[in-house]
Amino acid sequence: MNKLDLNNLKNEGVENVPMQERRDFLKMGLAITGIFAGGTILSAVSTFNTANAADFAKKYPYSPHYSMVMHQDRCIDCERCMAACVATNHVPNVPGAYRTTILEKDTPDAVGGKREFIPVLCNQCNLPQCTRVCPTKATYKDQTTGIVLMNIKKCIGCLTCQEGCPYNARYFNEEKKAVDKCNFCWDTRLSKGEKDTACAHACPAGVRIFGDLSKQDDPVFKTVHQIEKAVWVLRPEAGTRPNVFYTKG
Amino acid sequence: MTIRLITTVTALLALVTGLASAASYPEAPIVFDKPVTGVIFSHKVHMDKGLSCEMCHNRLFEMQAKKAQGNADFVMESLYQGKYCGACHNGSLAFAANTRCATCHIGVKGAKRLSDGGTQEETHEH
Repeated sequence: MNKLDLNNLKNEGVENVPMQERRDFLKMGLAITGIFAGGTILSAVSTFNTANAADFAKKYPYSPHYSMVMHQDRCIDCERCMAACVATNHVPNVPGAYRTTILEKDTPDAVGGKREFIPVLCNQCNLPQCTRVCPTKATYKDQTTGIVLMNIKKCIGCLTCQEGCPYNARYFNEEKKAVDKCNFCWDTRLSKGEKDTACAHACPAGVRIFGDLSKQDDPVFKTVHQIEKAVWVLRPEAGTRPNVFYTKG
Repeated sequence: MTIRLITTVTALLALVTGLASAASYPEAPIVFDKPVTGVIFSHKVHMDKGLSCEMCHNRLFEMQAKKAQGNADFVMESLYQGKYCGACHNGSLAFAANTRCATCHIGVKGAKRLSDGGTQEETHEH
């Protein structure tokens, strides 16, 4: 049996460590700093008191770094968010056209509640696939806010972005003759000085909390960076580093 | 004369049947639509748990479907204070009103399913 020379092992980098794995370790208060020997050895350091010091800027590179946390179990499918979005962002009333919608999950075998509603919208990913695949750069990541925006003049309607999006967050708007999507109400509210999105504003149950991940005193930041309650993202395996988080309670 | 007698008998029968059904309950679930859309109440589910009419009527709810939603205080906050459903749904008699939201809140989707003739919501054991 070969003896491992622990002192001279090469750090193979953490780029390929899955997000879930990193998150699991973070919840234990550990940050993975390297993998060795083909992944059989993992080095980790305690994140106690320094949780966000090192890679904070790298993690939340935008300012404000807009984000949303969904308190999923509070959703009652009253759909006021959807109505507010339609009214604010002029979403046409045709099937399949939405910037935000609510999914329904039946769990007949569960003890207690048998149903969950899951509000969804564009996740404004840090590594968006839609902008990567757009052949005309009609959709792009805003350099300041990190919002994934549309330049409808450049959109040729090829719908490649729809294919690329793991979240089904895009639809073709016949009136605009371009793909339309949630932009956190950038043009209709945020750029005009409003502090939240129409959907978050309309929610009567406190499901959608809108905020800025670059501020450590922001409610969204505080929710995402605690360990008492689980926080997750949808489809983490897509590796797009979404900015919409989910939790319960 | 005979026709008149038959009419009277029929009317009496209807009255008796009416009385009998008054002692039972509406079979179709009640779906409130204010202040938010799609909040279900199933008489069947509650009767099957052994509750009697007078436990809610008319102290908490009048015997007129959806009348309560006309009241300004028909909101979750009132339930937390023990009004309406909150009289039992307080965490000791029945699950607390601030838990299991989607059990009663069937939402726009659930309400639509029911109005389209589905019965799925009723089969949920609450």
